[in-house]
Amino acid sequence: MSGLKTSRRILASTAAIALAVGVTVASGTSANAAEKPVTGGTLYFVTNAEQFDHIDPARVYTGRDIAFLNSYLYRNLVSYKPVAGSAGSSLVADLATNTGVPSNAAKTWKFTLRAGVTWEDGSAVTCADVKYGVSRPFAGDVITDGPQYLVQALDIPTDKDGASVYKGPYKKTGQAAFDKAVTCSGNTITFNLNRSFADFNYALTYPAGAPVKASKDTGDKYDLRPFSNGPYKISSYKIGDQLELERNAAWKKSSDTVRTPYPDNIVVRFGLAEDVRDQIMLEDQIPNTASLDALQPANLRAFFADPTKKAQRFNVYDPYVRYAAMNVKKGHMDCLDIRKAVFFAINTQALIDLSGGREFYGDPGDNPVKPVLGLDYAKTTGNIHDANWKITGNATYAASLLEKAKTSCPDAYSRATAADKGIIWDLSNTATSQKAAVLIGDAVKAAGINLKFNFIPSGQYYSTVQNRDKQNDISTAGWGADWANASTVIPELFTKEGGFNLSQNWDDAAYAAFKKKSDATKVETNRAKQAKGWQELSQYVMDQYWIIRPVFSKGQEVWGSKVGGVYYWEPQGNFGFGGMYVKN
Amino acid sequence: MLKYLARRLSATFLVITLVSMSVFGIFAVLPMDPAALTCGKACSAPVIEANRHRLGLDVPVQVQYGRFVKGLFVGRDFGEGAAAFHCPAPAFGYSFNRHECVTTLVAEAFPVTLSLAVGAFVLWLSVGVSLGILAARKKNEWQDRAATAFVLIGTSLPTFISGILILLFVALKFNLINPIEMGRWVSPLEDPVAWFRTFIFPWIVLALLYAATYTRFTRSNVIETSTEDYIRTARAKGLNERDILRKHTLRAALAPIITLAGLDFAGLLGGAIITEGIFNLPGLGRLSIRAVLRDYDLPTILATTILAAVFVIVANLLVDILYAYIDPRVRVAS
Repeated sequence: MSGLKTSRRILASTAAIALAVGVTVASGTSANAAEKPVTGGTLYFVTNAEQFDHIDPARVYTGRDIAFLNSYLYRNLVSYKPVAGSAGSSLVADLATNTGVPSNAAKTWKFTLRAGVTWEDGSAVTCADVKYGVSRPFAGDVITDGPQYLVQALDIPTDKDGASVYKGPYKKTGQAAFDKAVTCSGNTITFNLNRSFADFNYALTYPAGAPVKASKDTGDKYDLRPFSNGPYKISSYKIGDQLELERNAAWKKSSDTVRTPYPDNIVVRFGLAEDVRDQIMLEDQIPNTASLDALQPANLRAFFADPTKKAQRFNVYDPYVRYAAMNVKKGHMDCLDIRKAVFFAINTQALIDLSGGREFYGDPGDNPVKPVLGLDYAKTTGNIHDANWKITGNATYAASLLEKAKTSCPDAYSRATAADKGIIWDLSNTATSQKAAVLIGDAVKAAGINLKFNFIPSGQYYSTVQNRDKQNDISTAGWGADWANASTVIPELFTKEGGFNLSQNWDDAAYAAFKKKSDATKVETNRAKQAKGWQELSQYVMDQYWIIRPVFSKGQEVWGSKVGGVYYWEPQGNFGFGGMYVKN
Repeated sequence: MLKYLARRLSATFLVITLVSMSVFGIFAVLPMDPAALTCGKACSAPVIEANRHRLGLDVPVQVQYGRFVKGLFVGRDFGEGAAAFHCPAPAFGYSFNRHECVTTLVAEAFPVTLSLAVGAFVLWLSVGVSLGILAARKKNEWQDRAATAFVLIGTSLPTFISGILILLFVALKFNLINPIEMGRWVSPLEDPVAWFRTFIFPWIVLALLYAATYTRFTRSNVIETSTEDYIRTARAKGLNERDILRKHTLRAALAPIITLAGLDFAGLLGGAIITEGIFNLPGLGRLSIRAVLRDYDLPTILATTILAAVFVIVANLLVDILYAYIDPRVRVAS
């Protein structure tokens, strides 16, 4: 119903999802084992977007952009294995010689750089370059939008506002503290962290931990022309026009065990009208092209209905859980019975149908953690498994919960039912949201709830609902794990320190116990115990109805008949760009 | 004449100043926070404040306006420490969304819009005026009725419909353009054929709309002028119809059309948003619409708004001067 936070990544297999929710998904690969990859040619990508969100490694945070740029332009200390299936979720050494050596209860991590890695000008990639790259996200006034895991995890003091005392390499304020937290000794870089971080190496799969050559850093403008150490380099990039990559002559296959650069040139064409983009794909007008966007709904159905295009598409569970967050701050949705009443009243089937049906949109979920996280997911009780839940809504049961609220929380009851008050639901102002509002409004009205909608312009949606004073009672949102650990979901969404807490639940009576367990689980180094902790916390979240009606959503990708080697790269939730080639 | 010119130039300067102040004012009172939009997940209060400072929004609006005006004349510095950089005069500001000085963005977009406007202008004027004259001369004959049908179709088809139809069912259907190269800017000095292929369909889309209007306008003007006494006198003197049309009718009938054409052309220079969007042309229209809808990019919005205002005002000025030159009564009345 609204745009998602598209900055997350997930792991594990689509098979696991099919098992968990009882449906199957379409093919996730076109890669034919008998077909030999072809070197050469130009591979095109088309998109309606005007640009990549960012191409500066410290600012890249969307799964698609990470997958693309990591495959072609820059290398991290560690990377995900570029293969289809759940094996793609395993880490492999990239710039480093191994996937990292933890010590001191995982508070210290060491990586040794591989020899022979060079920048596009032929100069060697050094430990100092990695250290400089890691320092850039601290310059929050220049390097915006990127992931903050390194900023939060490195052992650097914070000021009274909780901000790091180190202000990045441009101002150099607090440089000594950074130099203590990140040290270089020869080719070995050491990260000193402020807590046990058993999966810190996963955080380094983000390009925010990639090296940057200081002499080539152009601050804000680095987002237009990052210096490459991957198999390609940028020959031109103009926002709204195109990005063109050519082979990086200084890159050596002997120094890179991860990448297999097949095409000679890669061109991303931005800003194409949606109709034009769809026609290119439907008519196979430029067969060596892949679309970076899903097609428009009608065209998507046509593409998936065409049997001749069977090997040119996949329909998979994307990395996201879409949900409605309950703002449980006092005076908002602070009554459990009211929260439950809203949930049981909603016609989930109608909302899913509105957005493309279960085939293309997704399935009702029971958890803030998606089943693709495997270990950390467990089927919850209650919510959609409650005997009173009906996928088309249960107004009678919702009304009984509302009746219960009359005595359990009379103030909240009054707000939820009075004609001059009512519950306010924040929605992104899109055509689909407008229709969804009618469906939701009608459903809850039948239960006696007075629900109003606050439509926020799409571009302003998240900045508005993340403002604690501007957020209303319920907000639609979406989230996906950053890597295969619910530590990037539960604390982020439901603790006060989390980056995307739309529940504002820290004054809720149920919060203290939850927070204590979350903190303990976060630093648990026994992975099985940790997973058990996340499962219990997920159940806790669902029991409290801090979020309602999660949907385990799907994504679709399509490509032309002359594109080979396509597979779904699960950890990035996108194409495995590195394997794609142009067929003869 | 000089006094008149000076007076008009002063008024022009005043209008442009008021336009720029209005845009600043509007953005100051809108309930949106550009600083909050610059950071994603890590949108803590200190980060937002740092970004507000970086964007120059942490000072009163009048100070922001003063910096803007100063930048137009002496250029402007942005950022701090090793990340600082300079935008040379005339600096409209820096687009933090596109990582460029706004003047550079406008300079890149302007040739695209100019190419679109000039080509469409030539096409619609030649087609519209020719058809209008033909319809007037063949009044109530089949040519007139055909022109009327063209007018109806042209004026009733909005560009977002005609554009999509022409693009999908003509240009792409018959492989007349390469969709992947569609809208890419090529200078006419470097490759005139590629330039022509890029713009021919957008020209047709715009010309269809405008030519219809001009056909109707020309037809009625020519018919009206033809009934004037001096035309009858010319005919009585034995002048042939061709000379009457060329020397007497058109001279009078086309004067108001030229005025209208000047203003329409100026309006197009501000950016043909829909046509640029459909054909993926990176002109001023697309630059503006992205700045407004996607980026909330005040410096870019300001620059494109002021530029559009300048085009219209200058076109008005030129038309008025032309009129004053042609008709001394205008000067006296002013």
